[in-house]
Amino acid sequence: MTTTADNNRDRVQITVDGPELNSRMVTEQVSRDFFNVTRNYRWLVAILGSVFVIGIIALILRFLDGFGVSERAQWGYYSAMFAFLLITAGSAPLVAVGLRWTKNHWRRPFSRVSELYAAVGLLTILWFLPLMALLPPLEGRRSLWVSDEFIGVPLWWDFFAVLGLVVCGLTLLVLSAIPDMAVLARHGDDGPRARLLRSISGFWRGSQSQWNYHRIGLTALGAFYFMLLIMVQTMINVDFVMSLVPGWKDSIMPAHQALTGLQTAIGLVLVTTFILRATGRYKDFIPMESFWSFSKILLALCLLWAYFWFAALITFWYGRTPTELNVLSTFMFESYRIPFLLNFFFSFLIPFLILIWNPVRKSVLGPTLAGASVLIGAFFMTIRLYVPAFGIEDVTGHTLKAVQPAILPDVLDIFIILGGLAGAALIYLLASRIFPILSIWEVKEGLLYQRVRPLLRSKFLVLGKPD
Amino acid sequence: MAETKKWAMVIDLDRCTGCQACVVACQAENNIPINEEKDFLSRRAKQWIRIDRVWEGTWPNVKARFIPVLCQHCENAPCEPVCPVYATYHNSQGLNVQVYNRCVGTRYCANNCPYQVRFFNFHDPEWPDTFWNQLNPDVTVRSRGIMEKCTFCIQRIRRAERTIEGRDGGKVNDQSLKAGNYMPACVNACPTNTLTFGDINDPNSDVSRRARDPRHYKLLDHIGTSPSVIYLKKVDPNAPEEEAH
Amino acid sequence: MQEGKILGYRRINRDLLRGVFENPVKYWAIVLFLGLVVLFAVGAAGFMVNRGIGVTGLNRPVFWGFLITNFVFWIGISHAGVMLSAILRLSKAEWRRPATRAAEVLTIFSLMTAVLMPFIHTGRPWRLMYWVFPYDFSRGIWPDIRSPLVWDPSAVNTYLLSSILFVFIALVPDLAVIRDRSSGIRRIAYSVLSLGWRGTPRQWKLQAIAGILLSALILPVFVSVHSIVSWDFGMAVSVNSWHSTIFAPYFVIGAVHSGVSGVVTVMIFMRWLFGWEEYVRREHIDALGRLLIVIAIAWFYFFAMEFLFGIYGQEGDELATRSLQIFGHPWGWLFLTFIITAFFFPVPLWLFRNVRRSFLWMTITTISVNVGMWLERFIIIVPGLARKQIFTQSWYTYAPSPIEIMIVAGTFALVLMLFLLFAKVFPLIPIFDIKEGQILTDEIKVGRRRVPAVIREE
Repeated sequence: MTTTADNNRDRVQITVDGPELNSRMVTEQVSRDFFNVTRNYRWLVAILGSVFVIGIIALILRFLDGFGVSERAQWGYYSAMFAFLLITAGSAPLVAVGLRWTKNHWRRPFSRVSELYAAVGLLTILWFLPLMALLPPLEGRRSLWVSDEFIGVPLWWDFFAVLGLVVCGLTLLVLSAIPDMAVLARHGDDGPRARLLRSISGFWRGSQSQWNYHRIGLTALGAFYFMLLIMVQTMINVDFVMSLVPGWKDSIMPAHQALTGLQTAIGLVLVTTFILRATGRYKDFIPMESFWSFSKILLALCLLWAYFWFAALITFWYGRTPTELNVLSTFMFESYRIPFLLNFFFSFLIPFLILIWNPVRKSVLGPTLAGASVLIGAFFMTIRLYVPAFGIEDVTGHTLKAVQPAILPDVLDIFIILGGLAGAALIYLLASRIFPILSIWEVKEGLLYQRVRPLLRSKFLVLGKPD
Repeated sequence: MAETKKWAMVIDLDRCTGCQACVVACQAENNIPINEEKDFLSRRAKQWIRIDRVWEGTWPNVKARFIPVLCQHCENAPCEPVCPVYATYHNSQGLNVQVYNRCVGTRYCANNCPYQVRFFNFHDPEWPDTFWNQLNPDVTVRSRGIMEKCTFCIQRIRRAERTIEGRDGGKVNDQSLKAGNYMPACVNACPTNTLTFGDINDPNSDVSRRARDPRHYKLLDHIGTSPSVIYLKKVDPNAPEEEAH
Repeated sequence: MQEGKILGYRRINRDLLRGVFENPVKYWAIVLFLGLVVLFAVGAAGFMVNRGIGVTGLNRPVFWGFLITNFVFWIGISHAGVMLSAILRLSKAEWRRPATRAAEVLTIFSLMTAVLMPFIHTGRPWRLMYWVFPYDFSRGIWPDIRSPLVWDPSAVNTYLLSSILFVFIALVPDLAVIRDRSSGIRRIAYSVLSLGWRGTPRQWKLQAIAGILLSALILPVFVSVHSIVSWDFGMAVSVNSWHSTIFAPYFVIGAVHSGVSGVVTVMIFMRWLFGWEEYVRREHIDALGRLLIVIAIAWFYFFAMEFLFGIYGQEGDELATRSLQIFGHPWGWLFLTFIITAFFFPVPLWLFRNVRRSFLWMTITTISVNVGMWLERFIIIVPGLARKQIFTQSWYTYAPSPIEIMIVAGTFALVLMLFLLFAKVFPLIPIFDIKEGQILTDEIKVGRRRVPAVIREE
C-alpha cells in the first residue's frame, strides 16, 4: 500500500530546525505504537494494578474502622484524594477544549493526551460514592442550597453533577477520537481491539458533513464540559469544604479551585507528554516550541494562583473577625501550616521561579518540572482544605469558634492515596489502548497549515489562519 | 490601680428611659450644630450619642426599648486602619481619637464603622446668632469636610487630669478624678444613672464593678471589634429571654 | 482574519497622519462641544469644593455615591489599554495592531480622569498633600500604609507612569515620521520627542525589547490597580456585601469587560472621524467581539459567584442589601437594566458573526455594555452602604444631586476631548505597527485553496 514516493510526498517542517514530516508518518507511527503492546507496558500495568489493589484493601480496613457522619474526621484524606482526582483529571480535558477554541497550531499533539484523562472520571465517580454518606445534614448550617427541603440536596445533586461531568468527558473523548479510531481500525490486524475500533467508528467516512458535525460537536461539548466542570467544582467545594466550616464565607474559593484545576490540567498534560517523549514516541510531532508555548500560560496561571490566594488572604486579614482569624489559623498559619507551605511553594513559588527564566522556559524539561510542581502543590491544597473541613465537629452556627487541631494521616490514608493515584494511572494506561494518545487528525491538520519559509536573511515559521 | 488607663463606659439598658437628656447634653458640650427637621430628613443630622428605639412584641403587647448608641471606642476599630492620614487612631488610654486637623474627609472611616456613629460635616456648622457666644471653648468647632464623633468628652478628662496633677502633685486615679468632674456630659446628664464611665483597668472603679454584671454584652460582638462600651441587658420578668439587639 | 489590502508605505503615512496634519470641521465641532460640557463640569466641581460636599446627595449611611462609582468606572475603562496591548502583544495576536495605541491612550486619559474623582470628592481637597503626597515629614506623620486609600494612589500612579512610558516607547518611531514631515517649531518639538530616532536596526531592537519588557512588567500593575480599587470596598468589614474575597478578580474582569468594549466604541468612532476604513476593518472588531464573548462570560461567572455567596452568608444585612438591589425602588429597575445591558443584550448578539462584523451593531452593543457596567458599580457601592448593619436603624437610600450628574457627564466629555486633542498631536494608530503587519502577511496553499497566513515573530 505504501510506496517510497508516497512517503516523501508533501513533506513539511513544523519548526524552523525540525525534521520534514508528512501525514503518512503520523498514521504509521501512531498505529505501530498503538497495536504493539510492549513488555514494559505490561509490567507497568501489573505494578499499578497491585498498588491499586493494596489501596482498595486499605480502604476496606478504613471502612471497618468506622464510617458515617460522626466518623467523618478520619475520612478527610480520602475526601482530599477525591478532590485531587476531580481537580486534576477532571480539568485535564480543558486543555484540549480551550486551546481548540483559540485555534492554536501548537496545541495539536496535546489534545488527546489531555482528553484521555476523561477516562479517569470512572474512578472519580466511584470514589465519590462513599463521600455521600459522610456529609452532615444541612440543618442549622449555611449551605449553597436554599433549603434542605429541596429534593435531593445536596448529595444527589452533587452526585449527578459529577456523573454528568464524567459522562460528558467520556463523550468528548470518544467523539474526538472517532476519526483516529477509523484510521487505526484500517491499519490494525484483525485482533479484538481492531474489531472494537471498527464497531465504534464504522460509520465514519470522513465526508465533509461528518467533519462539520464533528467540529460543531466538539465545540459544543467542550463548552458544555467547561461549564459543567466549573459548576461541579463550585458545588463540591462548597458542600465538602466551606459549608462544613461554620462562618466561613469565601466567595473566591470555588474560583480558586477551578483555577488550580486549570493549572494542574496543564501540569498533567505536560508531564504525560514528557513521559511520552522520554519513551521515544512522537518526538518529531511534539516539538519543544509546544512546551514553550505552554510555559507562558502556566506562568500566567501560577501568577493568578498567587493573586487569588492573596485576594482571599488580604480580605480575611483585614476583616479580622473571629471567624476569619480562626479560618486563617486553621487552614494556613497554624494547624495546617506545613501542607499550606508546601502548597504555596509548589503551586506558586517553585513554578514561578522556574518559568520566569527565559532559557529554562524555552525547553522541554523546564515547563515539565513546573508542571510537576504544580501537581504536587494542588495535592497539598486539597489536603489543607478537605482534611480540616472534615475534622470540624460542630458544623452549625455562624462562627468558627476555635482554631482546629491538625489531623495527621495514618498508614491507611497513605495507602489509600497511593492506591488512588495508581488507579488513575492504570485507567489512563488502559484507555490509551483504545483511544490513540496522539490525535492523528489534529496533527495532520496542523501539517497543512504550517510551513517554514525564508524571509529576509532568515527562516521563519508561517502559520495559516483558515478563518 | 492599673498603670495604664483604659476608658470605658457601661450602659445599663434596664435603667434607660429614652429621655434624650444625654443627647442634648452632648449637643451642648461638644458644639454640635442644632439638628433641624431638614437635617433629619436628608439623613445628615449629627448626634454623637443617639437613642435607638426598638419595638418589641406585636401589637397590642408592644414595648419600646431604648439603646443609647455612641462611639464604641473599639479596641480593634475598623475605622482606624482605613484612614489614610492617621486622622483617627487609638491612643494609649484606649480612646479612639479623631484628629480634626489631619482629616481630609475621605469618609472611609464612616463607611467602615459598623455602629454608624461617625458624622460628616456636609456644610459649615451654623448656629443662631445668639448661640455663638455659648459655644464650649474647650471643643473645636469643626469646619466642613471633616469627620467627627464621640470623644468620651476627652476635653473633660484632660482638664481633670491637669487639675489633679496641678493640685495634688499628680495622683490621678478613679477617686481623685471623680472629684475633678471628668465624666462625659452624657453621663452627668443622665437622670437614671444609666451610664457609667471610668477606667476599666482599675478593678475597683465603678465601671469595672458594673461591667462584671452577668447581664453584660457588647454590640455586634461577632465582628470582633471589641468595643469599650459595655451594655447591660434589659431583663424583663414578663418576657421570654431573647437575643440582645 | 487577514482581509486587508497591502497598502504602500506612502499611503499608510498619509492616511494615519491625517489626524495630525488635517483639520476637518467635524473634528473641531466635536472638540468644542466637549469642551463646553467639560466647562460646565468644572463649574459644578468648583461649586462643590466651594460649598462643601453638602451639595451632593450623600447622607449618613451612604457616604460614597456617584463620584466614587464614576471613579471605579473610569479605572475600569483604563484597563483596556494594557489588556489589549500587553496581552495581545505577548500572545502575538495579529489583529491587535490598529487597536493598541487607541487603547493605551484611552488608558491614560481615563486614568487621569478617574483620579480626579476621589480628589474632588474628599471633604477638604486642598489637604490632599497629607494623603497623596506625603510632604508632612516634619511632623513625622506619614500616610498610613494600612489604608487601602494609600494603596490606591500608589497603584494608580505606578500604572499611570508605566502606561505613559508604554505609549511613549511605541510612539517614538511614529514621532520620527512626523518630525520628517513637519517644519519650524513643530519640527523642533518632534525632534526632541523622537529622541534621535533614525530607524537603525539597533534602535528597532531596543524598541522591541522595551515594548515586550514593559508589556510583561505592566501586567501585574494592571491587575493590582483594580484589585486595590476593589479592596477599597473589600476591606470594609462593616459593609457585609462589600467584604467579599472575590472582589479583586471580579472587579478586574469587570474592568476588562467595560474597557475592551470602550476600546471597540472608540475605534469605530475614530474610524468614522478620520476615515480609516482600510485600517480598522471588520476582521478587527470581529476578533475583539470574540474576545468580548469570553471576557463577558468570565465576568458573568464572577458576578454570579459574588451574588451567590452574598446570599450564602444568610446575614440579615446582606440579604437586605440583595433584596434592595433586586426588588427595591428604583434599584430593581437599575439592576434589570444593568444585567440586560451588560450581559444579556450584547453577549447573545455577539455570538452572531454578522453582528460582530457590523460597525453599527458593535457600537450599540459596546456602549450598552458600558452603560451596564457603570450601573454595576453603582449597584455594588450604594445599596451596600444603604443597608449596612441591621441594628443601626440608619438604612436609607441615595439620589444624586444635579451637581454630581454634571460632574459625571463632564468626565465623559473630558476623556473624549483629551483623546481627540491627543489625536491632533500624535497618530492614534501606530504607523510602524501597521507596516510591520504588512510585512508579516503571507499565504499558504492548502489543496486548491489559498489560506491567509502570518509569519510568526520570534
